[in-house]
Amino acid sequence: LTFFFLWVCTMQHVEALEVLLQGLSGVPKERVRVHELCLKSVPMLGAVPSEVRLLCDLAQPTPSWTIRHVGGAMRGAGAEQISILVRTIVESKASSNVLRYFYGIGYKLDHEILKVGFAFRFQRGAQFTVTVTSANKMPKLHATDEAVQVTPGIQLVEITAPAAANNYNDVVSAVTSFCEYLAPLLHLSKPGNSTGIVPTAGAAAASLMSSGGAKTL
Amino acid sequence: MDAAAAPGAAAGGQQQQQPAPPRAERLNGEVQSQLNLEGMRARAVGLYKAISRILEDFDAIARVNPSGSPKWQDVLGQFSMVSMELFNIVEDIKKVNKGFVVYPRNVNAENAAILPVMLSSKLLPEMEVEETTKREQLLSGITNLPVPSQMEKLKARIDMIANACETAERVIAECRKTHGLGARQGANLGPMLDKAQAAKIQEQESLLRAAVNYGEGLRVSGDQRQMHSSLPSHLMEVLATGDGAHNFGDNSGAYPKNTPAFSPNNVNAQGNPMQASGGQLLGRSAPSPGTAGTPNFENVSTPPMPYANSPRSGTNMMNTPSPQQHLTPQQQRQKLMQASQQQQQQLRPSAAGMLAQSSVPQLQDLQGQAQQKVQVAGQQQMQYSQAQALSQFQNRQMQAARMQPGMSQSQLNQGNQLRSHLGQFTGAANSAMFTAAQASSNSQMMANIPGTMQTMQSQSMMPQMQQFGLTGGHPQRSHQMMTDQMYGMGGANTTSMMGMQMQQQQQQQQQGLYGNMQGGGQSLQQQGMVGLQNQQQNQMQGGGQSLQQQGMVGLQNQQQNQMQNQMQNQMQNQLQNQMPNPNFSQQRQQNQQ
Repeated sequence: LTFFFLWVCTMQHVEALEVLLQGLSGVPKERVRVHELCLKSVPMLGAVPSEVRLLCDLAQPTPSWTIRHVGGAMRGAGAEQISILVRTIVESKASSNVLRYFYGIGYKLDHEILKVGFAFRFQRGAQFTVTVTSANKMPKLHATDEAVQVTPGIQLVEITAPAAANNYNDVVSAVTSFCEYLAPLLHLSKPGNSTGIVPTAGAAAASLMSSGGAKTL
Repeated sequence: MDAAAAPGAAAGGQQQQQPAPPRAERLNGEVQSQLNLEGMRARAVGLYKAISRILEDFDAIARVNPSGSPKWQDVLGQFSMVSMELFNIVEDIKKVNKGFVVYPRNVNAENAAILPVMLSSKLLPEMEVEETTKREQLLSGITNLPVPSQMEKLKARIDMIANACETAERVIAECRKTHGLGARQGANLGPMLDKAQAAKIQEQESLLRAAVNYGEGLRVSGDQRQMHSSLPSHLMEVLATGDGAHNFGDNSGAYPKNTPAFSPNNVNAQGNPMQASGGQLLGRSAPSPGTAGTPNFENVSTPPMPYANSPRSGTNMMNTPSPQQHLTPQQQRQKLMQASQQQQQQLRPSAAGMLAQSSVPQLQDLQGQAQQKVQVAGQQQMQYSQAQALSQFQNRQMQAARMQPGMSQSQLNQGNQLRSHLGQFTGAANSAMFTAAQASSNSQMMANIPGTMQTMQSQSMMPQMQQFGLTGGHPQRSHQMMTDQMYGMGGANTTSMMGMQMQQQQQQQQQGLYGNMQGGGQSLQQQGMVGLQNQQQNQMQGGGQSLQQQGMVGLQNQQQNQMQNQMQNQMQNQLQNQMPNPNFSQQRQQNQQ
């Protein structure tokens, strides 16, 4: 399963973004509260340390765990041209024993992060998942209640869509065109590149938030 | 392009009319390059779905609350998106409109009347009138001029208007920025952020990206990683907080000390005290395997099932009845200490658990950490620890051997199987342990062995081989072979060990050769030795010479190889040949029968 990632760093106009996304997607937003534990294998287990992320979804009444393995990104000239990062991701649901299991087979906790925010999932040429979260770090181990924002005031917007090997071009175009809708508010870029803020973000946010409502075409 | 497209399309249309055999229709090349049909269809379908979804929402709201109305803000937003999408689609199609001809397919009574009107490209009368008037307005001043100049004039007019629009838009945007349209934004709005602020934002952004992508800035140093008392609920049952130990990257391969807190469902099956001790045992003994070398296995008791989730939990216990756990804690401890010092690798606990039941290949993953082995059946525990001991542990081995009079063959075989997979170990003690175990089982085996076999055994010094070969006449693969790999004792020790063991063997009536292959242990790293299919009664009694032969295939039916010489060569040959995995599984099965 190949996922598209298009990472973004957005400005403070989270509410405006929410309004915009709500309009674009047509689905209600979902609360997101994910405790992400990044585990790395010990060096002796292999030449290259492998990394796996355990995501615990705390938004639901009963926490559910997911294992996510992020593979290598697509490289090459084609990848440069595409404005989206394409990489292989394998996700799987797991029981709550997963953390203990991974510890047992030799993985160590590398870092953990708590992501709180909201997300929209909708279909628009591709199955989109747009997540707007603030990344929080925990001063004490696993102290999810005491998490503080890594960068106060700035949130992370991620747009991902799954794709298969043969249709990823379509997904690329769908995601890119969708991102254009967000252009007034924020710039999106691949995870490695930095974006800065959009000059019109303020105005765009204002127009979104005002009672007039929708963003004009 | 248009001219070319039209005839192409027309030709295509004509072909459609003809009763031609069905064939794939292809778009004209140029049309195809300009129009992504699939994408267009996807967009159209998406738009259709979006619209229908919106309508459904309206219906739902109307149903729920007959007088209610949807949130107009949302609706307008969605509408704007939808209309924009429609606009885009229409635009794209317009680009290639000329390449297509509308061909009515479904003509029936109701369509027939209106079709000509729809198909005609002539404007409706009203529209036609409108157009002519507009045209007159436009060209009023210049109809007398030649056409190209008319075009130029019109063009100029268009440009002027475009400029005007552009400036107007710019003005509007600036006014928006300066005045602000929303009261909420307040001070945030304004002219562009100055450089300092922009730089700060940039820096924050990179921080955030680094944190989320790579975890920069999120790593906590070791001492800060002490788990505090109050875990969040979702981690409460997953991790234990008992001894505050942590498992962050400090120890190479150390098991987490948090494992003691097994999930309740598994734990209860075993009885709590054992689990707690087992868990703690695991936890505490984990950190020092080979790294610090400090023996801290004082806590090593012998709960055979350290991991609640291991396959050995619950019913598996039956494979390791209590009598095997003669081994005093002290002895075990000592062995474990030695083992830990010897081995740098750890048995996976699950692998240990699988000894009893799981398929043989899994056992190969076992690396000899005594602590892990402790978790195996008591007998096996002892065996392993022995295996990892140096030749110094000969005495222990003897003791161990004596201590296992009551071991059943199955248990022994389990150990054997395990050992086979531990073949990668170079610990000399492995072999010793194994032989010890086998010795004990040998004694038991004697009773079961048919008379003929017994006699043969009595003569041989390799009871191990015979045991397995003898039981029920099944072709036994000597698991002992597995241990050969573990007979990594130095050559110097071999003879002495052999001597000692030989004596004891004789005393004990074919107690297993303790260090049979110890001399040549290092060479016994053969895996996958095929061919030991029917090695019955491989009575190889040899000294400790290194196995030179590897991969000896073809010792298929070595029955009654009563090599009573003490040459290790032969023994090693057979030992090697008895390495293959399938043998073990067979043996195991047979032994368990």
